[in-house]
Amino acid sequence: MKFIVSSSYLLKQLQILGGVINNNNTLPILDNFLFDLKQDELTVSASDLETTMSAKLKVDSDSEGKIAVPAKLLLDTLKTFPEQPLTFVAEDNNTIELSSNHGKYALAYAQGEEFPNPVELEDPSSTRLEGDILATAIGKTIFASGNDDLRPVMSGVFFQFSSEGLTFVATDAHKLVKYSREDVTANQSAEFIMPKKPLTLLKGILAGSESEVLIEYNDSNAKFTFDDTELVCRLIDGKYPNYEAVIPKENPNKLTIERNQFLSSVRRVSIFSNKTTHQVRLKIAGAELNISAEDVDYSNKAEERLTCSYQGDDMQIGFNSRFLTEMLNNLTSDEVQLEMSLPNRAGILTPVDGLDPGEKIIMLVMPVMLNN
Amino acid sequence: MNKKSILHLDLDTFFVSVERLHNSKLNNRPLIVGGMGDRGVVAASSYETRKFGVFSGMSMKVARQLCPQATVIKGNASTYTHHSHVVTEIIKNQVPSFEKASVDEFYADLSGMDKFFGIEKFAKELRQSIIKESGLPISFGLSQNKIVSKIATGEAKPNAESIVAQGNERNFLAPLAVNKIPMIGNKTYQTLMNLGIYKIETIQQMPVEMLESVLGKNGRTIWKRAHGIDNPPIIPFHERKSISTERTFGRDTIDVVRLHATLVAMTESLAYQLRKGNKLTSQVSVKIRYSDFQTQSKQIKIPYTSADHILIPKVEQLFQQLYSRRLLIRLIGVRFSGIVGGNYQINLFDDSEEMLNLYNSIDRIRNKFGEHSVMRAITLGTKTIGRMGNAFDGAPPIVLAHRKQ
Repeated sequence: MKFIVSSSYLLKQLQILGGVINNNNTLPILDNFLFDLKQDELTVSASDLETTMSAKLKVDSDSEGKIAVPAKLLLDTLKTFPEQPLTFVAEDNNTIELSSNHGKYALAYAQGEEFPNPVELEDPSSTRLEGDILATAIGKTIFASGNDDLRPVMSGVFFQFSSEGLTFVATDAHKLVKYSREDVTANQSAEFIMPKKPLTLLKGILAGSESEVLIEYNDSNAKFTFDDTELVCRLIDGKYPNYEAVIPKENPNKLTIERNQFLSSVRRVSIFSNKTTHQVRLKIAGAELNISAEDVDYSNKAEERLTCSYQGDDMQIGFNSRFLTEMLNNLTSDEVQLEMSLPNRAGILTPVDGLDPGEKIIMLVMPVMLNN
Repeated sequence: MNKKSILHLDLDTFFVSVERLHNSKLNNRPLIVGGMGDRGVVAASSYETRKFGVFSGMSMKVARQLCPQATVIKGNASTYTHHSHVVTEIIKNQVPSFEKASVDEFYADLSGMDKFFGIEKFAKELRQSIIKESGLPISFGLSQNKIVSKIATGEAKPNAESIVAQGNERNFLAPLAVNKIPMIGNKTYQTLMNLGIYKIETIQQMPVEMLESVLGKNGRTIWKRAHGIDNPPIIPFHERKSISTERTFGRDTIDVVRLHATLVAMTESLAYQLRKGNKLTSQVSVKIRYSDFQTQSKQIKIPYTSADHILIPKVEQLFQQLYSRRLLIRLIGVRFSGIVGGNYQINLFDDSEEMLNLYNSIDRIRNKFGEHSVMRAITLGTKTIGRMGNAFDGAPPIVLAHRKQ
């Protein structure tokens, strides 16, 4: 097995694939990249058993072979090279020899057969959408997903495909984001929960990409295909909570405010809040929004007043400022609307402007119980 | 560096004095305050009973045998708290900075006041005004640090004062027994006695390394204290890092229903305290002491909360895991630690609005009519678990005289 490839081209692909590899694996073979060479087409794969990603590379070769090469060693080496052609030759003594303009390097490789095979999807359904749309949907939702091992369904993003549109939902039971696209539809209705890790990878690769992504899925797995890359992952098993039921329908109190101003005020005030609970208090009366925080343990205190437009009864509501800043940060509009009903019911944050046609975002944030 | 002046004030036989204040018939008669049952312990005893060998912390049964003529009173924690508060107010109004170390003990920092008032005169006047205004006898010790002042007070008692002049600390401490040093409890005292160290003087003559090799890290502190050069700061505000409650049963029990009710009542009371103080807990622990005095406890980390419906199941779960010995139980207790300031973060899926409104209403009723005005039906049978006042007002927890803090 022998092939010649450009160093920066190889590095770029391997760095993307490297994101799949866990730092500490139970199976040592997973610390490797699988190199599968068929003439001038080299398929490189990386896996953590849950997620397997592979990319096809054009190389200069006329041989065939399948070997597993230590990922970290290879990446560390490639990073140091300026652009140049590299020659890989697999020797008989289980080492692969890498020749550059500077010299020679030998890496021990494992047999390619030891590498776990990616899952084949049986009778999958499929949908196509633009890469950037998928990346945006992931970016808008993934931050709201949870980390609780006891509730694994909430650690992913819920994909809901139907003929009316696509919906992406994430929640950690304290905040919830629902991102829907009515301009993209699927032929068949389907629902599945995608784990966070492959989504983070996809988001990184697909941001700004105009290429079309083919999503295939069945009950247990999903496969994303685009350009020369393929990502197969296991889905999170379980029933996603009925999120529609917890979105309050009637919210008579409506606050409209400039997003950046609101965000920077909350940020500033929250510096003075308790370092663990990050709680801030919003007091709304007339056209004035009062944001305050207090850390009793250190006698730190802050209060800011903003003008806003407000319809509804005067009210006081407490929030974890982390949630508010995360959400406001994630939005891009100039103005946002915060709809509320009671101090112990969810606040609904929506952008007022700046959405693409067919795009819709609802962010929900649960308050903290204030006692007065 | 300028030398400091620290005043230590200690109310003499506090609980006894308060009882006598309310009932003058008890004056000059042997009096014991503490639990009345066989399980009870002596919380305070008057000087008349000390001749008979009664001391706080001993079992009531033994105390009664030693001094059968003594009047025994159950005592009422809320009256003691009230009187303690009166004294605190008097001190607070007169000194620049003070620490309330327990219900009946105070430290005041009088550094720098000598120039203007004459601190000895000031301390004497402060003591007189406390005696006059509260009607309770009090003693004080004055020196340049907390430890020496405390020892001085202990030497002066009852109803007296003692001033250790600057530079005279070593000479003052030298003839005293080593267990006068705060921190030397029974165990350390035994260790030191075995080494032939009876007087503080002996420690003063020893190199610090020797003490350190015997007692470890504490050795150095004890050595410094023996020389009168340990200077712990005055702590004006005690931050509560945990709240807890426990109960010793009158008779050991395996009545699971009663145990369960007691645990629920304890959790309910502690959770109410959290909410009242705008606090959340992140760690729950349950303690069991079996009839053979073997004590076990188990704790669990949880996301920050102050909600009954989350805490009660956790406590129940811990108890289930812990109680496995099929043995009579003597004591059970619940503790919340990892406390931070904040309010309960409502959960989208688990919390219903009815539940939240219920908490709000219950707490409002309790704030108005007292903690026991509303309670879970299951806890009706449990006697008076709960406390008065705010657990997070900076005052130290009320610790009975015989308990080590």
